[in-house]
Amino acid sequence: MRLLDWIVLLGTLGFIVSYGVWKTRGSKDIEGYLKGDNSMKWWTIGLSIMATQASAITFLSTPGQAYEDGMRFVQFYFGLPIAMVIISITVIPIFYRLKVYTAYEYLESRFDLKTRSLAALLFLVQRGLAAGITIYAPAIILSTILGWNLTVTNLLIGILVIIYTVSGGTKAVSVTQKQQMAVMMGGMLVAGFMVVRYLPESVSFGDAVAVAGKMGKMNVVDFSFDWNDRYNFWSGLTGGLFLSLSYFGTDQSQVARYLGGKSVGESRLGLLFNGLLKIPMQFIILFIGVMVFVFYQFNQPPLFFNEAAKDKVYATEFAPEMEALEAQHTTLFNQKQEAVHGLVAALRTDDESAIAAAQAEVQGITDASKAVRTEVKSLIAKATPDAETKDTDYVFISFVMKYLPAGLVGLLLAVIFSAAMSSTASELNALASTTVVDIYKRSVKKDKDNFHYLRASRLFTAAWGTLAIIFATYASLLDNLIQAVNIIGSIFYGTILGIFLVAFYVKFIKGHAVFIAALLAEAVVLYCHFYTDIAFLWFNVIGCVAVVVFGAILQFFIGQKDDRLYA
Amino acid sequence: MKEIDSKPNEELDKPPFFESWKSMYWLVLGNLAFLITLFYIITRIYS
Repeated sequence: MRLLDWIVLLGTLGFIVSYGVWKTRGSKDIEGYLKGDNSMKWWTIGLSIMATQASAITFLSTPGQAYEDGMRFVQFYFGLPIAMVIISITVIPIFYRLKVYTAYEYLESRFDLKTRSLAALLFLVQRGLAAGITIYAPAIILSTILGWNLTVTNLLIGILVIIYTVSGGTKAVSVTQKQQMAVMMGGMLVAGFMVVRYLPESVSFGDAVAVAGKMGKMNVVDFSFDWNDRYNFWSGLTGGLFLSLSYFGTDQSQVARYLGGKSVGESRLGLLFNGLLKIPMQFIILFIGVMVFVFYQFNQPPLFFNEAAKDKVYATEFAPEMEALEAQHTTLFNQKQEAVHGLVAALRTDDESAIAAAQAEVQGITDASKAVRTEVKSLIAKATPDAETKDTDYVFISFVMKYLPAGLVGLLLAVIFSAAMSSTASELNALASTTVVDIYKRSVKKDKDNFHYLRASRLFTAAWGTLAIIFATYASLLDNLIQAVNIIGSIFYGTILGIFLVAFYVKFIKGHAVFIAALLAEAVVLYCHFYTDIAFLWFNVIGCVAVVVFGAILQFFIGQKDDRLYA
Repeated sequence: MKEIDSKPNEELDKPPFFESWKSMYWLVLGNLAFLITLFYIITRIYS
């Protein structure tokens, strides 16, 4: 990294943290600390909601996912706008009416204490793990690419977040997220502009999109139905709807964002703002990944994007094999470059047979390149068994480091740090408020004064932050980071959503039945995760439906038993 | 009395640009339908 990059990176992060601390200094009570004195306007809420969801993983993994798999990941978000409307109509008015601090508080008034505590605990486990991954995911990639120490990188992200989140609570989280969103979107748009600018002069933007299409990357919507396919229209619409309902309606890290709104209307607008802009935002990030893919059709990509992992092989007896694969990779790239230029020329002629011939030639070389990459992965696994053989998370950052000019590299690193910090801050804030409001204040220390709970909130924020850093430091690399977070979410979200769905809409089911139903549903979801091939998005549906169905059956028997008891 | 006090006055929370919240919800759902259609067209054109 050059000096200008360091200035941009540290200047951006330093400004955001200092501004957050200064702007929200002096929170004097728990109302201000956990709900931001209900003073937030809709644009602050909307940006805060988007920044909470957009973690560093979003900016590192998503372009890599598009590079490998095309645009179809955007379908994952199709259920989100519908969820925003449903939550705006049903959930927000109830939460405001009851003046709750957390979503789980509502469950005690509807069911009982044990159901509230169960939902709060499921959230704490799930979000506690996710907070560690939110720090770890960018830290491992940045430390690999930049040669930074992993523990130092974890500590840098974690400590910066702890400083302003402990100091200013919810308000600090939302205030800083506005700046972080500006940095994130500004940085990504600049990166997108640069990658298109770096295409050869003879290749226009239209040519680039057409080439991407012919190479199967513009597969935005797929209406075919397959239970085991992670991303198609149907799984995105239904699984994505359930996941979004659960995430935005019952996950405290999001609920806290709109509970701090000035009114029901401000909170609703904040959510609807997200419903309007989330899909275009994801589309843009994926499209940047596709443009990076096109860029690498004209510029030789690394044989393996995690070059540090590849370099380790050169220190082993397998070095000659790797050298041979590098040579093959270069030869294939030279052939491919010619073929891709041929495809561009064919596309301009509109001659279907010429296009088909050029496409077949490019496809043939692409398949050969893929085979070489598969061999490289096998070789890395053989030479260094502990190494990660999936390199999609390194695609975008590798491009940034190699091709962007001084200053912009610092800006793009600030994007990744900002994203990591914004999600982690919301998570720590939510973990602390749930621990204090639903567990500590409700079941441990019931009769303390306001100042005591404010101090406890600060301490729990710092404690969860420390735990997240420790978890991040010792976490081993998971298969694909963005999917790992979504899988963990899906394992717990369905059950939590089921509890809330029953609470809101199935009035005849009472606390005892829903509590047992939730435990059974969680067991079913865990069984599906460990013993079946069902795509993880469906866990949200399965967990949710299981709670409702088991709850109804149990209520039928418990109700009969109660009738006999009270007859 | 307590119930009335604790209930937010939703009538005062009119959405901007539209007369009712229902219109806002339709805007979000309409935008979704538009995006899906647009994405479908993009998929077809570039496949």
